[in-house]
Amino acid sequence: MIHSTKYPLALCSKVIIMDIQNTQSQMRKGVLEFCILSIIQKGEVYPSDIVEQMKAANLHILEGTLYPLLTRLKNAGLLNYRWVESVSGPPRKYFVLTEEGNQAYEVLLKTWNEMTGAVNQLTQNNQDHTESIVA
Amino acid sequence: MNKVININFQGRILPIEEQAYELLKEYIESLRIYFANEEGRDEIINDIECRVAELCDDKLKKGAVCMNESTIQLIIASIGRPADFEAQDGFEQASTSNHSQSNYTHNEQTGGESIRPKHLYRDEQNKVLGGVCSGIANYFNVEPIVIRILWIFLIGVNILAYLILWIAVPSSSIKEVGGVRKRLFRDIENKIIGGVCAGLSKYFGLRVGIVRLLFLIPFIRFVFNFRHLHLFQFWDNVNFPNILDITFSPGAVFVYIILWLVLPEAKTSADKLEMVGEKVDLNSIKNTIQSDMEGFSKRAQSWGSEFYKKDKSNYSNTTNNDGTETSFDARMDQPNVAPSKSKGLFYFVGRIITIAVKVFVYFIIGIVGFGVLAALFALGVAGTSLLPLKGFLLEDGLQSAAFIGAILFFVWVPIIAIVTAIIRKIAGYKKSNIWVRTSFVSLWVLGWVCVFYFFSSLGNSFSKHNIPVEQTVTLTNAKVDFLEVTMFPRMKYYEEPFFNITPLSSFNAEDTIFVRNLKIRIVQSKTDSFEVNVVKLTNGKTIQEANQLANAINFNVNQMDSLLSLDKGIVISKTNKFRNQHVIMTIAVPVGKRIKISNKNWQQVNIKINSTSIRTETMNGIRDGWYDEWNENWDGASYPFEIGVEYKMTSNGLSLIKPAKDGPMKGDNQIKDKQEDSLKDLKEEREQLEKNNEKGKDRGNIGLNTIGVKKELVKKTIHFFDLHWVLDRFTY
Repeated sequence: MIHSTKYPLALCSKVIIMDIQNTQSQMRKGVLEFCILSIIQKGEVYPSDIVEQMKAANLHILEGTLYPLLTRLKNAGLLNYRWVESVSGPPRKYFVLTEEGNQAYEVLLKTWNEMTGAVNQLTQNNQDHTESIVA
Repeated sequence: MNKVININFQGRILPIEEQAYELLKEYIESLRIYFANEEGRDEIINDIECRVAELCDDKLKKGAVCMNESTIQLIIASIGRPADFEAQDGFEQASTSNHSQSNYTHNEQTGGESIRPKHLYRDEQNKVLGGVCSGIANYFNVEPIVIRILWIFLIGVNILAYLILWIAVPSSSIKEVGGVRKRLFRDIENKIIGGVCAGLSKYFGLRVGIVRLLFLIPFIRFVFNFRHLHLFQFWDNVNFPNILDITFSPGAVFVYIILWLVLPEAKTSADKLEMVGEKVDLNSIKNTIQSDMEGFSKRAQSWGSEFYKKDKSNYSNTTNNDGTETSFDARMDQPNVAPSKSKGLFYFVGRIITIAVKVFVYFIIGIVGFGVLAALFALGVAGTSLLPLKGFLLEDGLQSAAFIGAILFFVWVPIIAIVTAIIRKIAGYKKSNIWVRTSFVSLWVLGWVCVFYFFSSLGNSFSKHNIPVEQTVTLTNAKVDFLEVTMFPRMKYYEEPFFNITPLSSFNAEDTIFVRNLKIRIVQSKTDSFEVNVVKLTNGKTIQEANQLANAINFNVNQMDSLLSLDKGIVISKTNKFRNQHVIMTIAVPVGKRIKISNKNWQQVNIKINSTSIRTETMNGIRDGWYDEWNENWDGASYPFEIGVEYKMTSNGLSLIKPAKDGPMKGDNQIKDKQEDSLKDLKEEREQLEKNNEKGKDRGNIGLNTIGVKKELVKKTIHFFDLHWVLDRFTY
């Protein structure tokens, strides 16, 4: 990550770099819901568990971001939850996918596979191309 | 002492400090505002509150009495603030935080990391005091030890700079949990050079001018004390109690540069808000530093106990230096082993003082150790360079082997051991191979053995004295008026004194060296002619050996009219080893005659004047065994004799004829003297050859007029001697 503000760069390159950051952010935002759905699809989880799993996959998310998202998904009918009383501490919400949620997950999975296939193909071609030039 | 209230939080009772409660309330309120337009806002808030309650419960279960401000801060940071949601769009800066995380948790992976963490943090996991140097090291992707060494050299024991960074730079533990409290930025809008001072002033709430002045004071002081251009402030700051010196050293420049490099600029409004942020008051600073100090004291205790254990196990076999160091450490650490339960400002100050004293003592030990190391090194170099001379002094076989062994084991082994120990300590290797240590120690013990044997056997070689015999040197013409004592001009080579360590003076050939151990005594002659006696003295292992060695001393004395030429020195070869051979030459000068000693190359020539008879005390002394040639008992006057000055023997003793020239210039360029001396010798020789030629010519021409010839010769020689004297003037 280039610190554009630290080193004096030309204005145009600064703009270019900001665009890249924006693009990256957009890329991540795009897959966020899908990631959460895939976690919940594996089994019943509660929010902090979701955060842990995301962390383990090297995608860090704040709980303050997760809760609104879960609420949104629940309001859209993709998730359901039930309260589980715990011995220690307040009761927790355990989330599961609804039928619609499962469908959505399948669709998104397909989309993801298609997209990654396409992107891999494109980038592979690029790599081959550069390799042939170098060689 | 803070007020604690109980709140009903999500159906449970939560004991919480009043200030922390305010904080929590504020946070929930900010969330409300943030989610104002969100569908299901209440549910979201409720979920978040539940999560907070869960985390609080955890803390209480772990033993906290109540929730305090810092814990609430952490919890809020972990869940996230509205500002964070906004800035980060759901994800944290994934790649950067990733890499920075891995940077902090795994210090091994320093190489190959091209992405820098965006902010400077203090490293909690890898810290010694406050993790400042570790954090800087992480930021620049270097080893922490490098930064620490650089810090000490550049900034010295500059507490103020370290304190500033300690307070202002947030710790990495906060980074992991996700949020951040008031952050130190560079204020670009109000900057003069880099905005460092402006940023600092915003953070601490001071006026900008004050911070700038603080940074400038060392410059002013530095400029005024220009002559004391200290490159290593470390040495200056060893005068500990001078606070001014400690804080306002010119290392402020480096602090400024470091801060300039690592602090980010306050770009967005969020940044600017954070820069000004909540008030940093004494309490929060105190909390941070306290928790850090407690961690440090625990670490110091563990070090202390480690040292103590190591010391116990090593008590039987440590080298001298190591032994004193570790036992000293153990003693130093004893008072720190007992943990102090009291917490408060005095504890904090006391801890700082303890650490400062400890650091100071470590430095003193370091300096002493360094001095010892330097001395050992000098000894080793001297010993090793003297090895070629070994053949002249030591007998072959065990003695010589003992010498080599002594140099090797006694001197070089501890040097190597100490250096490796230092390197190991610096690099932080905990384990030291037990075999390495025992082998070093045993080699050093062997060195001690060698040294003892060497010195005892050497002393043995010098233990006995020969029986001195006085030999009379027949003079060709004992009735000259004037006798000048000088050196044989026979040796033509260019002398280069290698080292003038008494009693050795020069190397000439590969297998001989010359020793100028000559003592000249001038006494009054009982007759009217000059008398020269020579006594050869030496030591040896047995009296027989000493006698043999004495006979082998080849010291020639030759008289040529008024010139008494002596040998250059006593020859020491590998067969006749050096055993303190010296020669005492006694010249008896008749009353009314003159004498002069003109050889200035004999630095060791000891000239003593004794007007009365000489023989008896010396001979008696030698025979009886209490003869100490270096301190002889004289009765009668003895006064300093100057070389190159002519004396006349009167009935009362010697008296000065010619005044001394230009004072004794002994300390002058000795090498130059020697060069000129040899040149002079060449000149003399040439003159002598000329003289001889003339002599031959004279003899050939004026066959019978020997008296005339002699007169001419005498004239010429006197003339020559005058020339000699003139030359002396310039070369003395």
